[in-house]
Amino acid sequence: MAPLLEIRDVSMHFGGLAALTDVSFGIEPGERLALIGPNGAGKTTLFNVLTGQLHPSAGEVLFRGHDITHASVFSRTHLGMARSFQITSLFPHQSVKVNALIALQGTKKGRYNLVSYLMKDKHMQAEAQRLLESHGLWDLREATVSSLAYGLQRKLEIALSLASDPELLLLDEPSCGLTTTESAEITALIKDLGSKITVLMIAHDMDLVFGVAERVMLLHYGRIACEGTCDEIRSNQMVRDIYMGTRHAAPGHEATDDRDR
Amino acid sequence: MLVEVGLPMLVIVVLVLVLPLFIPAFVASLVTKMMIYGLFGMSLNIIWGYAGIPSFGHAAFFGAGAYGAGILILRVGISNFWLNMLLALVATAVIAAILGVPAFRVFGVGAGTANPIYFLLATIAFGELLARVAIWLRPITGGSTGLSGIPEPDLGLGFRITSGRYYYLVFVILAICIYIMYRIVNSHYGYALRGIHDNERRMQALGYNTWLYKYTSWIIAAVFGGVAGVLFAYYGSTLVPNNLAMVTSDIAFLLVIMGSTTVFFGPLIASVVFVGVEYVASLYLPDRWPLIFGFMFVLTIMLIPDGLGVWILRGWRRFIRGAAA
Repeated sequence: MAPLLEIRDVSMHFGGLAALTDVSFGIEPGERLALIGPNGAGKTTLFNVLTGQLHPSAGEVLFRGHDITHASVFSRTHLGMARSFQITSLFPHQSVKVNALIALQGTKKGRYNLVSYLMKDKHMQAEAQRLLESHGLWDLREATVSSLAYGLQRKLEIALSLASDPELLLLDEPSCGLTTTESAEITALIKDLGSKITVLMIAHDMDLVFGVAERVMLLHYGRIACEGTCDEIRSNQMVRDIYMGTRHAAPGHEATDDRDR
Repeated sequence: MLVEVGLPMLVIVVLVLVLPLFIPAFVASLVTKMMIYGLFGMSLNIIWGYAGIPSFGHAAFFGAGAYGAGILILRVGISNFWLNMLLALVATAVIAAILGVPAFRVFGVGAGTANPIYFLLATIAFGELLARVAIWLRPITGGSTGLSGIPEPDLGLGFRITSGRYYYLVFVILAICIYIMYRIVNSHYGYALRGIHDNERRMQALGYNTWLYKYTSWIIAAVFGGVAGVLFAYYGSTLVPNNLAMVTSDIAFLLVIMGSTTVFFGPLIASVVFVGVEYVASLYLPDRWPLIFGFMFVLTIMLIPDGLGVWILRGWRRFIRGAAA
């Protein structure tokens, strides 16, 4: 089976700094792949290359066989990719419902409609209700997002990423900054996504990684240091040396460094 | 909802319609100016309040509409008001479309751009640039003395608007513009603009071509600014290059700040205050206008940072709740 997403020899240089060097891998449809690595390993750079925020210095990115190396961020979403953000990225001044509506219409033809009222579009309202209900946020639909508790904002973050009905979901630290209970909820949510959605995620939270991922890839100094199943990674001495052994990664702890970037 | 929104709207509409019967002509003329400036401010609010794109050069489009109408009537000889307005607005849209390319492509504002200050500086330059052009093209624009002697509007079918009736013409056009703008900002497109204001990166990730939204909203705002300009040309019957420059852009800027960016009607409310103050100042302190203008900025930011719109809306809601309880 052809991989859904394929990365071929991607390198990314920022001046003299090589953030990524000849990174190649593929994701099969329905797979759950986790990307781990210490701070500065190039995870976020790789993520930005995949989402179109950055265009790589060399190599190519293929999605369903199409070359999307230089495709814009928004056109990737129309192809069936979606992402969440490590730093909660919502529409803080709008209500939860408006957040859902804006997210839903991003890939709809009607998004350029200048004439009809969004709030009176019954079809969109029903879709927003379905989306929010499936994430347990419907009761909060009138609340302004900036007033929501952080855990709920993280939930909405993932709900918005799923609004475009993606084939490939890219999650950037989905449980970043959450409590253990909340993190477990997110883990369950990702597990329940079903095999139609392929997931690639960056995570520091090992409970999440080992709870969800089928395959784990370790990035170190911009290269893929090793990859394997959860068990293989857990028992791999190199992983311990590079990642867990030298500096213990408490969930959401190291992530603060990433955030300041 | 009906009482909360419908009642004040009805009262204001009726009041504005019967007002000229009771007030002297010069006051009616002031109200006309309030409506024109109100439209000017509201047009800027489309890009600023909704899409989050502040512009220091909105007068470029106000002036383009005004000069467009003035040139068409005095130099080209098109006397029909509607045709005149249509052509002037097309010209305004074309100018906005041309200026929008460097504004958003080169300078840029929002996600992925260095600093919005360059965009703001560019918008100032656009206004000043057009004002320079208006000075250079003396045979067409009348140079630095500008255009004067714009006649009263001819609505076609032999129907000429006298100065007393111009009030109603402005009122009708304002009402139409408000309706269209209201639909736009509450449409699917309008909510996308709000999204861009709040979080442009997320909008791109959700599949929105945010560049296109910013560019088109810039043109839409310019066209409504152009309508205000056309109305202004007939109102004052005189145009000067400053109508294109920053001196005029500042008015729209003040109206949006004073009226609150988050309230659709805000700039219109601010316009009532602004034109009132401007009139009183012209009576008692005609030499000190820049000072008073600056004071209005400072006082707004110190006393009502949210703007009059938010302030009035809050008070009105409290009043309604109190009356209902």
